[in-house]
Amino acid sequence: MLDIFLGCLLIAAAIFNLIAAIGLLRLPDVYTRMHAASKAGTFGSGLMLVTIAIHAGEINIASRALAGVAFFLLTAPISAHLLARAAYVAGIEPWSGTVRDDLKGHYKDKQGHLSSDDD
Amino acid sequence: MNKIFLINVLLAFTWCAVQGSFTFINLIFGFLISSAALWLIREQFGTSKYFNRTWLIIGLIFLFLKELFLSVVRVAWLVLKPGQSYKPSFISYPLTVDSPHEITLLANLITLTPGTLSVDVSDDNKTLYIHCIDVEDVEALRKDIRDGFERKILEALR
Amino acid sequence: MSPQEFFELSIYISFGLSIVAFLFTIIRLILGTTLADRILSLDMLVTLGIGFIAIFTLHTGFYAYLDMAIALGLVGFLATVAFARLLMHRGETNDTPAGDKLEDIEDDDTQQAKTNGGAS
Repeated sequence: MLDIFLGCLLIAAAIFNLIAAIGLLRLPDVYTRMHAASKAGTFGSGLMLVTIAIHAGEINIASRALAGVAFFLLTAPISAHLLARAAYVAGIEPWSGTVRDDLKGHYKDKQGHLSSDDD
Repeated sequence: MNKIFLINVLLAFTWCAVQGSFTFINLIFGFLISSAALWLIREQFGTSKYFNRTWLIIGLIFLFLKELFLSVVRVAWLVLKPGQSYKPSFISYPLTVDSPHEITLLANLITLTPGTLSVDVSDDNKTLYIHCIDVEDVEALRKDIRDGFERKILEALR
Repeated sequence: MSPQEFFELSIYISFGLSIVAFLFTIIRLILGTTLADRILSLDMLVTLGIGFIAIFTLHTGFYAYLDMAIALGLVGFLATVAFARLLMHRGETNDTPAGDKLEDIEDDDTQQAKTNGGAS
């Protein structure tokens, strides 16, 4: 019974990874692609580590796998944020279908100093 | 807050010492027993705030896991549906949290929730800029964040 | 089919799906269009690699591979941070093909060598 559940979990995780990769191919610009990579990708690989934690059934291996999951959930948003910021500061144009751009004109220089809405 | 947590850990170690076995399971069991003991004396020693806050943090973690799952399903739908009919946009969000670690937590939570990705914080820590993959109503999204994550963070960390 | 067999089969299926995901990511890495897209693909490759190692750990039952996955995650995160800094301080959006630059340098060198050779 547990094996069937774990098998389904593993296949679901692999499908999420595949969806992240398809998103990387299909979405129009780097900012939207980042959504696919940082969410679906992290979730897929994290789910695989959770599968290991359940499958092992030993506390030392499970704790290591869950520590790995916590680590990915902490670092994935940080790298996405850094990359999006660097891409915007470097002047990579958003997709032409972007409806609204509140960031426009708020960067003061190439060092990434950012003014807020008030001034 | 931190003091009570340290007392809790100390009591867990005491439990292990009395039991004579320092296994991981026994340490967790001791931690649970000592937190039960602290809960019993909450009226006399004012530890009830500690427990309230612990519940709020656990609630925040579960809210986060739920939102993460929803966001993955939504991104999957956006990727797989035919045609490029989404409306991405950069929006600004005025912050009410102001200390750096609260902003960090909020930004990380926003990145892993449905359709949003935090791009940058302004230098004066007042505005957070978010990239949304598909947004209809900007005000509704701002209200969602303010009543959801930001309120929970303020409750749990203050 | 026994549950054990189903689990084995699911491991093979997820190996297959992961390989297709690798392929798509590499196509985006080659197509690129901007440097940021390529950095994002490299980040995605690290994430997929962690997933692949996780499946491999389940396949062999040798849990020491798990440490490798965690270490790969650490190194991959640092690599993305470093690439993001590079992107920001380089301040360019369009990749100039590396071949052109190399040819320019070579041309200069050969020309210099020629002029030097001519002078001496």
